[in-house]
Amino acid sequence: MRLETRKLLDKAFSGLGLISIAVMAIALLLILTPIVWRGSKAFIFKGTIEHRRVMLELFDRGNPEKFNQESADAAAARAPVYQMMEAFEAEMKAMDRKKRKEYKAPFREVENALEELLGPMPGQRTPVLLRQRYGQTRWDRALVKLHETLYSEEWDYSNADAMGVLVEKPRVDFFTGTELEPLFQYLEDYLPEMMQPKTTFYYQFITDKSKDSHIFGGIWPEVLGTIYLTIGAMIFAIPMGVIAAIYLCEYAKEGRIISFIRICISTLAGVPSIVFGLFGLAFFLNTIQVSDSKSVLAGSLTLSLLILPTIIRSSEEAILAVPRAYKEASLGLGASRWHTVLTVILPAAMPGILTGIVISMGRAAGETAPIIFTAAVSVGAPLKIWETLSQPTPALPWNIYNLCTEHEAVDEIRHVQYGMVFTLVAIVLLLNLAAILMRARISKKLRG
Amino acid sequence: MKKQILTATAALALAGAAHASETIVIDGSTTVGPIAKAFAEYYMAANPEVNITVSESGSGNGAKAMVNGTCDVAIMSRPMKDSEFKAAADHGAQPVAHVVALDGLPILVHPSNPVQDLTVEQIRKIFLGEISNWSQVGGPNKEIVTISRDTNSGTYETFAGLVMNKEKIGEKCEYVGSNGAIRQRVQTTPAAIGYAGLGFVDKTVKALKVNGIYPSPETVQTGEYPIARPLFMYTNGYPKLGSSLYQFMTIHLTEDGQEMVEEIGFVPVTAY
Repeated sequence: MRLETRKLLDKAFSGLGLISIAVMAIALLLILTPIVWRGSKAFIFKGTIEHRRVMLELFDRGNPEKFNQESADAAAARAPVYQMMEAFEAEMKAMDRKKRKEYKAPFREVENALEELLGPMPGQRTPVLLRQRYGQTRWDRALVKLHETLYSEEWDYSNADAMGVLVEKPRVDFFTGTELEPLFQYLEDYLPEMMQPKTTFYYQFITDKSKDSHIFGGIWPEVLGTIYLTIGAMIFAIPMGVIAAIYLCEYAKEGRIISFIRICISTLAGVPSIVFGLFGLAFFLNTIQVSDSKSVLAGSLTLSLLILPTIIRSSEEAILAVPRAYKEASLGLGASRWHTVLTVILPAAMPGILTGIVISMGRAAGETAPIIFTAAVSVGAPLKIWETLSQPTPALPWNIYNLCTEHEAVDEIRHVQYGMVFTLVAIVLLLNLAAILMRARISKKLRG
Repeated sequence: MKKQILTATAALALAGAAHASETIVIDGSTTVGPIAKAFAEYYMAANPEVNITVSESGSGNGAKAMVNGTCDVAIMSRPMKDSEFKAAADHGAQPVAHVVALDGLPILVHPSNPVQDLTVEQIRKIFLGEISNWSQVGGPNKEIVTISRDTNSGTYETFAGLVMNKEKIGEKCEYVGSNGAIRQRVQTTPAAIGYAGLGFVDKTVKALKVNGIYPSPETVQTGEYPIARPLFMYTNGYPKLGSSLYQFMTIHLTEDGQEMVEEIGFVPVTAY
């Protein structure tokens, strides 16, 4: 090959490499930016007076005196709203029957929208459902609800050949000339006074229990559940995996059976996770019944099976990478095989083994399919450590899925969903970071 | 040091086992899920020592969990089948039904869809695939996208019984795993038609009149709306009187319970 051609090929190759790295970096940015950006909104947002009311009443947090002051200010700003509504109700009573009927339903709609925005009206009985006891806790949601109060949505179906078109009608037009007319302008002008928005750093989002299935509060049961499941999986998988790897490398005689076992392990690593989930249900729960219901224990066992192959393979690689001379020197000094493994081979292989372990920890934390049938529930309290043996738990991966597909009020609580995604990704990244640091430290120590 | 930690953990575990908290495990229908979650929240607020967990995996899974004894309460949006009763009896379980609410099955379309009213017959033909364009039922010229629940669902069984007359749903139909997922598919697909529980109707989707009757708590209660059904919670045997489970299973009879059922969007059993 001519020299120029070679140079050209060389350049083309490095160019290709650069491009693929750039594409990867962009992809990573595209994935991570929205996660971080939207996820951070679960923690840092403009909280309204209702948020502080929730904090004070449900979580016993905040300064009651300051809150009462703010609450009085908000109530003062809200008072004209309720006065206008009362005045309109009085006006309605004076109307003739037909006209009253005409106004009744639209007025009811305004009332409902206002209740969603501001919470129950003064003098109203406390609703049983928590979600109805408070107004909008977040300023962004409050603006959405304000819009819903100001405009009614109607669909224009006049073109019979096409789908309808959304028409937003200002509600004020309907109520022009009545006592309710000034209400809409007032709402638009005085919403900040009524809601008292303040930039809030709600770091307790991670450590608070959820209230009324995630409509208020945080995600502690999910975080704790994820931690339990991951640690549980490690407790089962690490000893089994490392011992199996030692056996395969140091004790077993190469032969058909061993290579068959290796093939089995590789196959196990490729089995889809939902199969592990179903196996866990069929075996751990229905056959040997490790617990009466789904439980963290059953979930951990299932997850440990899932990550076992990774741990065995990475430990095996690490053990095989230990120079033969180490082992021979140890054996030559008269150390027993067991002693050699324990004091020479394992410490030397430790960085590799640890990397494998931490990477599979990240996998265990993020897996959904194996825990659907064995451990995960959509609502539950944070468990105490001994309760993990018999009780199921919410867990981040499953609850993210549950919130976005099954929750009845999903559009209201998108921020919780993003907050969960952010937290899960952060946990996995932190675990991986820990792996890198640990590996670096141990390698340094070994090199002396 | 290590030993100390170990002993401490063991002591903690033993102490915990001594007064282990009570649990109620609930599994099943995604339709009844919101009710069960609200009841759980309500009950746990008053009795913090009881841990109630709710998973929403479909009525069929609820029944299976009851048969296998892995749940205390199976929430179901359809009655148990003979085969499930038999399986339960074989496993020594005796499922007892509690009707906690009534539910209509609103037929959902995208709000931009001009169609307002369909007959049961038309809906059946749409899901059979015999009517495949909205123009055949008075809408614009758009191909209909049918969306159904999966066969594990009680809502599916109800629909199959009351609308499809047990005839098989057409091949083109899309199956999704929960009420929420149906709503999501419909709100993002202008030509879609699907069905879900009453509590899942919001302004992002439009419920159609069926045979001229709009699905509302009143029309469901009076039986005018043709696609309606009770929602169940099953327990293994009648709960022991006075137990936490008994208290939980009677919430729907209290005024608070009925208010919750109503506010979530379903119809309380002793309404009005």
